[in-house]
Amino acid sequence: MTIGGGSGRRHPPAFRLSENMNSRSTALPYLQVTPLAVVLILFFAVPVALVLVVSFFRYQMLVGIVPDFTLKNYADILTNQTNWRLYYSTLKFAVIVLAITGVLGFWISYFLVFHVRNLVTAIALFLVCTVPFWTSNIIRMISWRPVLGREGLINQALVGGGIIDQPIEWLLYSDFAVVVAYVHLYTLFMIVPIFNSMARIDKSLLEAAIDAGATRWGVIWNVVLPLSKTGLALGALFVVTLVMGDFSVVTVMSGGLSGSAASAIFNDLQFLNYPRAAANAVVLLVVVLLIASAIFRLVDVRKELVR
Amino acid sequence: MQALNSESGEIRLVNLTKKFGETVAVKDINLTIPHGSYCCLLGPSGCGKTTILRMIAGHETPSSGEIFIGENMVVGLPPVQRGTAMMFQSYALFPHLSIRDNVAFYLKMRGVAKEERRRQADEMLERVQLAHLRDRMPAQLSGGQQQRVALARSLITNPRVLLLDEPLSALDEFLRLQMRGELKALQNELGITFVHVTHTQPEAIALADMVVVMDNGRIDQAASAREIFNTPATPYVARFMGAQNVMTGTVQGMSNGVAFLKGAQGVSFEIAGKRDLKAGDTVSFAVRRDRIATHRRAKASGPQPVNAIVGRIDAIEYQGNFVKVSIDVPGLDSFVANVPDAEYFVEPIKPGDEVTASWNREQAHVLDEVDTGSSDPYAAS
Repeated sequence: MTIGGGSGRRHPPAFRLSENMNSRSTALPYLQVTPLAVVLILFFAVPVALVLVVSFFRYQMLVGIVPDFTLKNYADILTNQTNWRLYYSTLKFAVIVLAITGVLGFWISYFLVFHVRNLVTAIALFLVCTVPFWTSNIIRMISWRPVLGREGLINQALVGGGIIDQPIEWLLYSDFAVVVAYVHLYTLFMIVPIFNSMARIDKSLLEAAIDAGATRWGVIWNVVLPLSKTGLALGALFVVTLVMGDFSVVTVMSGGLSGSAASAIFNDLQFLNYPRAAANAVVLLVVVLLIASAIFRLVDVRKELVR
Repeated sequence: MQALNSESGEIRLVNLTKKFGETVAVKDINLTIPHGSYCCLLGPSGCGKTTILRMIAGHETPSSGEIFIGENMVVGLPPVQRGTAMMFQSYALFPHLSIRDNVAFYLKMRGVAKEERRRQADEMLERVQLAHLRDRMPAQLSGGQQQRVALARSLITNPRVLLLDEPLSALDEFLRLQMRGELKALQNELGITFVHVTHTQPEAIALADMVVVMDNGRIDQAASAREIFNTPATPYVARFMGAQNVMTGTVQGMSNGVAFLKGAQGVSFEIAGKRDLKAGDTVSFAVRRDRIATHRRAKASGPQPVNAIVGRIDAIEYQGNFVKVSIDVPGLDSFVANVPDAEYFVEPIKPGDEVTASWNREQAHVLDEVDTGSSDPYAAS
């Protein structure tokens, strides 16, 4: 115990000071939160509310939007076979892409965090992962054509190597091509959050597991994977929302053969049927929110982020 | 509690070296830690003690040299096959597993059925008196409780060697002393070898059968705690243990086993019981702080006394059962006398006073190396 420590007398002036702070601080938090609140209200809450309102309006040919309260738009969407097919195909893509990017993201992050000892190398490799993002989305998609096309790199190599006689047709303008493009575009969104949660794992936990006789797989399965759950969940959230909301990749890479839930909205917009497009958007929003809440139910992201 | 593992837990390090790139962390070390002993590796941070521990554990591979545990050369073997268990400084409890599952982790890895491993884990938790917390998560436990869990998790592997990496450094003073006692009692009970890394001298002295003092990747002295404390081998050990004053002089002559020395400031020293010194040798010797008597300096009269140095008091620190008197002596890094408090208060001295500090010639202990004057920043005060 140091001599003259604060254990003895109290200091009344300090208390008075903190009371002053209290009376002023009641308004302060609100003031601090205002800028963000204004931005969110203007650019998020208001547009969503607008879409919700318009989705109940009536669409009249040649007239346009008529203010009304009708459930016809929703009924149209839910009874339309094509719509169901589009949602099914989009969900299918989401699941496939989620599985592939999840596996890729996990192993790439694992490699970067636990096998690259030098921090500079790790950061350099991490930047390499972002190289595709140095150019636009469209260019990245179009660049797949010379690779996957009928006369593309892969087909030429396979035919030239005498492995096949006829070029493979399904490489481009197919579901396969769509998945390839999605994986290419979205794997980074998986890597970043998984990398982040893995980087926070105490390395001595791995040693402790090895000390207890765990094999390399035992360590990954019992320690690394459970502690990367948050990253996987956040990555899954990114990938699912990106795939569910996409229509350009599907259109370009499938050559117009496949569609997505969002392309239905695009079609409605082309016919200036804003109410149905709005209703479709609301349905899509609800579906994505359901998936998101399912993910958050599996992993308590908030608890893990505080950790 | 019965001995967990009857196999020999003797550890032999032979010409052990570890390099990290250009840096040599451990330099050609030879050391034998007897079976069933409590060994403390003591040294400042960066001296290589943790690297040695990690090499014994199998978490670091030696650059060259061999490690034997019992009869087996263990370099290259995974930790479980070495019969070692490590307790990490941060405890390294799995944050996503309950206390019980943390302790049962080893059994799970061995494929023990759920019921059986729960039973064994509960038994082990009972031993460390934490059975009532078995369903908690590690983050819900206090530091001391986390440490007990880490201990239980190590012991369930039935090791013949328990390796502890600064196990007490994260605890507050009260818990540290309590855990220190418990570790010692546990080691007595189990009879297995404990290797304990620490940078705290009192901890090493209180616990260890064998203290290994390290500096810069080398072992300066490996001996019993009493030997290290009383008869340090080198000026470094004397300073690091903190209870000694190191002085240097040149031998003038010998007579009946008493060496007569001349110090740098013209002070005369006598050292008894050391026969192998020759005139002309420069030697360093150490005198324990609590063997030194201080007196307010009388007006200079008569011949300069032997084994007495004159200085000005720098600081006085009351330590309860003794008073630490720091004396500023020209030509010496530091000179401290620990005066029993009863003695001190008979004739209190104040900072600024001139004093004479003296000791009996039997109290001087000759060191193996000549002091190069490198003052150690970690020297305990």
